[in-house]
Amino acid sequence: MNNLKHYLNVYGNFVSTSFSTAMSFRFNFILLIFMDIFFYFSSLATVSFIFDHVSAIGPWNKEQLMFFISFMLCVDHLHMTLISESFWVLSRDIKTGAMDFIILKPIHSIFSCFFRHIRTSSFCNTFVVWGCLIYYGREIELDTLSWVLLPFLVLLSFTLLALLEFIISTSMFWMTEGMGINFLRMQFQNLSRWPNFIYSSMSRRFFTMVIPVLLIGSAPVHFIIDHSKWHYLIYLVIAIVLSYIVLMYIWNRALNQYESASS
Amino acid sequence: MLTSNANISKWVQTIKISWSQLTAYRVNFFLQVIGPSLVFFFIKYNLWSSIYSSQSGLIIQGYNFSQMIHYHAWSLVVSLIAGGYASHNLAEDIRMGRISSYLIYPFNFWEFHTASFISFQLLQTFISMITIAFIFSIGIFHNLSFMALIYGYLFCFLVSLMWFTLQYMTGILAFWLEETWILRVILQIMAAFLSGAILPLELYPSWLVKVLDFTPFPYLSYYPIKVFSGEISPFSGAPLIIIFWIVTFALINRFIWSRGMKLYTAAGM
Repeated sequence: MNNLKHYLNVYGNFVSTSFSTAMSFRFNFILLIFMDIFFYFSSLATVSFIFDHVSAIGPWNKEQLMFFISFMLCVDHLHMTLISESFWVLSRDIKTGAMDFIILKPIHSIFSCFFRHIRTSSFCNTFVVWGCLIYYGREIELDTLSWVLLPFLVLLSFTLLALLEFIISTSMFWMTEGMGINFLRMQFQNLSRWPNFIYSSMSRRFFTMVIPVLLIGSAPVHFIIDHSKWHYLIYLVIAIVLSYIVLMYIWNRALNQYESASS
Repeated sequence: MLTSNANISKWVQTIKISWSQLTAYRVNFFLQVIGPSLVFFFIKYNLWSSIYSSQSGLIIQGYNFSQMIHYHAWSLVVSLIAGGYASHNLAEDIRMGRISSYLIYPFNFWEFHTASFISFQLLQTFISMITIAFIFSIGIFHNLSFMALIYGYLFCFLVSLMWFTLQYMTGILAFWLEETWILRVILQIMAAFLSGAILPLELYPSWLVKVLDFTPFPYLSYYPIKVFSGEISPFSGAPLIIIFWIVTFALINRFIWSRGMKLYTAAGM
């Protein structure tokens, strides 16, 4: 319990310093809000334009797919706000040797690596993404159980996305220039932004069982739309547990591999 | 004559150095520049396969399945030739005070970055040729015309120059902004959405297409794709409009540079 309190206290300081940094560059702060909003708008508009010409994509109609996109935007929003900045800093820290100071801190290195930088401007867009999710949730007439579970499912999806991205980013320790890994990470994120049924059976199997990016959004939304598909939630939980185990193993190997460029 | 030879030599040497820098970390280059275009194509291929498989003989705004995949395959090629350049180092040079060196060197800032851009283009042209050969070998490009390829490449080089001047603009705004990557990402999101790279513009509402015609965005993807496909003549008005945008952006860049230099404090000197 004391440990948790300590971590929450540290995290509070992370948020506070990130906010102070962001406030030093106000124009950047505002631009980031616009950048996110434009991304949300373009994601929703793309699907809407397609549905101007077709009545369904796979088994889903326009409202169901718009709900899926909104769900993924909520997951993206959490990702943008809480961890996205840290990945770019990690590649620089490994290259310059600044990672030394992170390892020396009396908190877990994963925590200080991936939760240190918070994009405070993205807090402002919380209402936009959740507004979209609630709007399309009403359009597809969600039942009470779905409404109650919705925030938890967004959190579960975010957890899987974060774990997978941590695992991918760990490969930076083995590379001289780790910036490209960030682009690889973003490509997996792009794959998860579409429902699993659009992919061919082989790629669907690969991205569900080997690198389970398709479970991030598709698993919870399939369950929300049709409760008989509860097995998807089991897959999601299994993927989270396995990803956590893999991350812990790979992270320890990566720290052993780290050569400390500054020393 | 000697001066002109020396000048050409500087350009050639800078292009060679940039080539070496680009190819030094090959995995990184692949993941950063080529990988995103390939994944983008992979997603679009799967998405449209899923849409068209639900109804046989489906035609969407004049596109059957084969034509839609054809469009997106050319979109992949165009993104490699014309849209890959990102002005990462430009802003960093300004922010870190590195442009002080360019002010005293006999090869100035824009010449150095334009030479780097040319080097990047040479590499991307080579990669795009391999991509075209691969796509042709799997049967997506069935009616590949040699002249359409030549016209397409020439058109794309013009488009890439327009993209470069736009990227250059976001880069030199570093005189005023702490971080320019945000502007670059906004530009990339806008370009992807409004250029026809995600969907053919025929699928957009007609009022939006009319508005877009007054912007440079459709010339970044839609028009080059149509030139490669042989559906639009490269001798139409499109190249003139692109030249108009290049000149406009170049003039704005010149203005921003002259204003920015008055603010420049040579950090770290």
